[in-house]
Amino acid sequence: MTATVTISKEWIPRIAAFCCNWCSYAGADLAGTSRIQYPSAVRIIRVNCTGRVDPEFVLNALDKGADGVLVSGCHPGDCHYTSGNLKMRARWTLLQMAVEQAGINPDRIRLQWASASEGQKFADGVRELTEKVKNLGPFRRGWQ
Amino acid sequence: MATEEVPRIGVFVCHCGHNIAGTVDVERVAEIAAHYPNVEFATHFMFMCSDSGQQLIRDKIEEFSLNRVVVASCSPRMHEPTFRRVVEEADVNRYCFEQVNLREHVSWCHMREPEAATEKAIDLIRMSVARAALLVPLEVKTVSVEPHTLVVGGGVAGLRAAIDIDSRGFKVTLVEREPELGGNLAKLSTLYQGNEKASDVIERMVLAARISENLTIMTDSEVVDVEGYIGNFDVTVKNNATDKTEKLRVGAIIVATGFQSWVPEGIPPYGMSLDVITLAQLEEMKRDDKLLCPSTGKPPKKVMFIGCVGSRQPGVQGHEHCSRYCCTAMVKAAADITEITDEVLILYDDIRTFGKGHEEVHRSAHEKFVMFSKFDRTKPAKTTVADGALSVKWRDILAGDNLEFHPDLLVLVTAMIPPEGVEKVSQLFSLTRSADGFFNEEHIKLAPLTTHTAGVMIAGAAQSAKDSTDSTTQASGAAAKAASLMARGEVEIESTVAHVLEELCSSCHTCATACPYGAISFDTSKKPEIAVVTEAECHGCGTCAAGCPSSAIIMRHSTDEQITAMVEAFLMPPPVMGGGDS
Amino acid sequence: MTVAGEKIVVEDRKSTDTALVIGGGVSGMQAALDIADQGYSVVLVERTPSIGGVMAMLDKTFPTLDCSACILTPKLSEVARHPNIELMTYSEVKSITGTAGNFRVSVLRKARKVLEDKCSGCGDCVPHCPIEVRNEFDQGLGYRKAVYIGFPQNTPLVYTIDSENCIKCGMCVKSCEREAIDLDLEDEEIEISVGAIVVATGYELYNVANYRRFGYGRFKNVINALEFERLINAAGPTAGNLMRLSDGKIPKSIGFIQCVGARDATKDVPYCSRVCCMYGIKNAVMAKELQHENVKKVTIYSIDIRAFGKGFEEFYNMAKDRFGIKFIRGRVGEVSENSRNKNIIVRAEDTTTGKFLEQEHELVVLCPGILPPKGLRDTANQLGLQLDSDGFIHVEQPASNPVDTAVSGVYICGCVEGPKDIPDSVAAGSAAAMRASITLWREGEH
Repeated sequence: MTATVTISKEWIPRIAAFCCNWCSYAGADLAGTSRIQYPSAVRIIRVNCTGRVDPEFVLNALDKGADGVLVSGCHPGDCHYTSGNLKMRARWTLLQMAVEQAGINPDRIRLQWASASEGQKFADGVRELTEKVKNLGPFRRGWQ
Repeated sequence: MATEEVPRIGVFVCHCGHNIAGTVDVERVAEIAAHYPNVEFATHFMFMCSDSGQQLIRDKIEEFSLNRVVVASCSPRMHEPTFRRVVEEADVNRYCFEQVNLREHVSWCHMREPEAATEKAIDLIRMSVARAALLVPLEVKTVSVEPHTLVVGGGVAGLRAAIDIDSRGFKVTLVEREPELGGNLAKLSTLYQGNEKASDVIERMVLAARISENLTIMTDSEVVDVEGYIGNFDVTVKNNATDKTEKLRVGAIIVATGFQSWVPEGIPPYGMSLDVITLAQLEEMKRDDKLLCPSTGKPPKKVMFIGCVGSRQPGVQGHEHCSRYCCTAMVKAAADITEITDEVLILYDDIRTFGKGHEEVHRSAHEKFVMFSKFDRTKPAKTTVADGALSVKWRDILAGDNLEFHPDLLVLVTAMIPPEGVEKVSQLFSLTRSADGFFNEEHIKLAPLTTHTAGVMIAGAAQSAKDSTDSTTQASGAAAKAASLMARGEVEIESTVAHVLEELCSSCHTCATACPYGAISFDTSKKPEIAVVTEAECHGCGTCAAGCPSSAIIMRHSTDEQITAMVEAFLMPPPVMGGGDS
Repeated sequence: MTVAGEKIVVEDRKSTDTALVIGGGVSGMQAALDIADQGYSVVLVERTPSIGGVMAMLDKTFPTLDCSACILTPKLSEVARHPNIELMTYSEVKSITGTAGNFRVSVLRKARKVLEDKCSGCGDCVPHCPIEVRNEFDQGLGYRKAVYIGFPQNTPLVYTIDSENCIKCGMCVKSCEREAIDLDLEDEEIEISVGAIVVATGYELYNVANYRRFGYGRFKNVINALEFERLINAAGPTAGNLMRLSDGKIPKSIGFIQCVGARDATKDVPYCSRVCCMYGIKNAVMAKELQHENVKKVTIYSIDIRAFGKGFEEFYNMAKDRFGIKFIRGRVGEVSENSRNKNIIVRAEDTTTGKFLEQEHELVVLCPGILPPKGLRDTANQLGLQLDSDGFIHVEQPASNPVDTAVSGVYICGCVEGPKDIPDSVAAGSAAAMRASITLWREGEH
């Protein structure tokens, strides 16, 4: 079933990323236009705001076999929608607890702030999460 | 909601010259995409955004009766509007278009790993195809535009914009927080452009503003609240002198809040002696014909300028940028005062006299025997004070000598930085800021005046450090954007708003608390009451949908199903390789 | 307001409802769009067969390294599709009389010999044409036929027959299924009335051959920056493969020489050209990026580095720190050719160390400054505009009215006022549009 994972020299983890359109998605764009190179493990899903990210999305991604999940939004105070990112931050603590409860290492999920001008910061965040997840190894769904 | 139709998806993979095709195997990607569920057609092409690429999309929509289109090219932040229009021309609803970012997010950031990049491209397209199958057409809405523009900031840029809009026959309100119009320009002596007196420029413009028919000036006033959306902003302006507030309805907003000249409080040599001043302070002295040493009240004989103070400092947040105007302003000020002083010396790193007539000002400074010495701005000059006398030591990197100078007056040519309160302005108008702290434009090359908040324009130093010529140019340009909106009288708005499913709402009020805009109210005529979204107030962030414990809120164009479909397509790809129905 | 999709017929419109924009580069295009968006009609006259100007020739743009075609193409189609804009490409303004609100303009529509409404841009005629000449759009580095489009995004997408080189063999006529080619078509002159005028005729590059000591035209591996742009462009003559013109080798070491025809009073160009530092750095970065395994050494020879715009200084730092571009401060004395390997030897003084350097590069790129466009003096004379000593159009009150000229109803944008980069040209285009629409509004009835 896992069709795209062929045995290759190096294991590339599968990381789902939820990025807000206004800051982090644009920051990832900037990383691209600046030709900043970062690990290819991440697949970005564009949402309007990190406030849109239901904790359920993160849990579901892990459930479906993601080795890590990244949520990246505007810095607190800079949200395009005033305060959506603050809602995400509030949910994050609960989400971390839920993840731990499920027996998953919370290092597999990451919340970061990267603005539209922080291409490097975005790339660094992806690199850091990728490294962490690589060290943890492939994720086996804990509750199945 | 629209009736269910069977998705017929077309996938168009763009080479973007070699930008994408140089790294990603576009041919293979398109070949694989052709076999995904619901995909009727897939191809690749040199430039999808070109006229012939656009025609290709329209032709294939017709040929294969496509009702969903996926274009895998650059960032949707660049070309989503282009392709939405293309599919609309072929009678496909704009919300049935989906773009995959193969350039900024794949080829450009994984240039050294073509195989991994190709795998990533394949995954991303599969994810978008899955999402495309669940997209639904949404009604395109238009709203009327209030023929009234708000200009925030009464400096040279704000004045220019307001006068232009008035002259074009539209109503405009100019809000300035200081008691007087004119901003920073009013503090200057003579300008390097044409040697015009700054006061003449301001007087001319203020007069034009005062006699205009459609222009209301509100000084001592600040915008304290902004609600609404493009075409219909409800703005609250507070008069700081009277504490009274006034509400305005405007169709467009131009933010021209300018800059402040940095004062290096507490950073030596500033503060070491009264005779260490900034260029802005020198300009005020020059303007008032009172160029005197603050310590003695006597005219200075020896004046020294140090360039790039607080500008071009790599790694220092908010001070990494070049402030653009200061080299020319510095050489102009230096040349001007040669007549009343004995010696004038400039420490510079690069002399950036780039604009029209600037090099002539630079040359005239040389002709007037202003001394120039190139220093290394990362190894600042050492200033000491002994018995009230200043001494500056530095290394001239052209001559390779250690030099010393004893100026009566030391002028620090400091950076242009965002004005006080910039954070508040950024929040009021939902503007993002670049690394230099100034506001971000919609696109740095081709849309320097509009922002990501529809209906809000920026002009002048609010966008980045610049001089009056470049500021008024932007101001007239921003005025044109506002005038276009008002002249058209109506504008399309996004239909991506939240919608409450009555039967699922449990009246818990979580959504209403989550909404940053107060767009959710309750229909109390129903028992139990149910949440209702005022669509015009909804900005589409989706925070309510994420918070709703009953999944009663559909975030249009960003539904739970559409998001989940992408996640699942990534992690659990359908077993369709080599199969499919096309 | 005109109904979307219906093309206007300019003759039907009152002069006070119409503006003329001369020049279809990025600045003129922006001016046309911002006037047309207000409901006025616009006649956009462009001398060459396509709008797009020099920006269409560029590969990437600074400071974001966005590709030029990618951001320009949608603007090209926006202009072409706008219901209020009438495009007159391959046309020239011959004379202008009158005053604000009522200018009479005569436009020479050069015979394209291809009917614009019939040609579909399919290019079926091209293989049949026996004549091959150098393509101006590729700076003469590539070839085109006598029936041609300069570049794939040519707007309008209509072929042009270059009468100078066409031998009237008629092969193309026969090959065209749509019968869009008529070799007997002749130039025509039409007259239009407009209420306001925007002059946006752009610039031309300094001819670097005037610096004999830099070897351009004598040594094959000395090229100019626009040629370099075409060499790294995927749609260019080498399909984006950076190579030396002498032997097709990938150059391992490249030198960029700045201020060629700028800040040099001895060559009558005392002013700074404003864009060269940044495009030089951008090209240096692109060379490294395109051929990171092969291009080992990239050096920029300059006086001051003028990285003044938004994000420019940061880009300059990135070029130094991340891409390892070497900057040498100093004017280059001369260059010579190594007769054995055709490499170019650059002699310069590093003014920060006082040492004389001699470095061998496999390719040297001269970065020319910007000159007023040809014919600007004629346009200025027709309109009664003054020129500055540098030859650009004079602005009386630059601080407050930067796009106004001495003649009411006539506005300027882009490089006719002085060298400018793309964002400044775009902003000026919008500004000129605003000022022109004010003239139309004031002169019109309402």
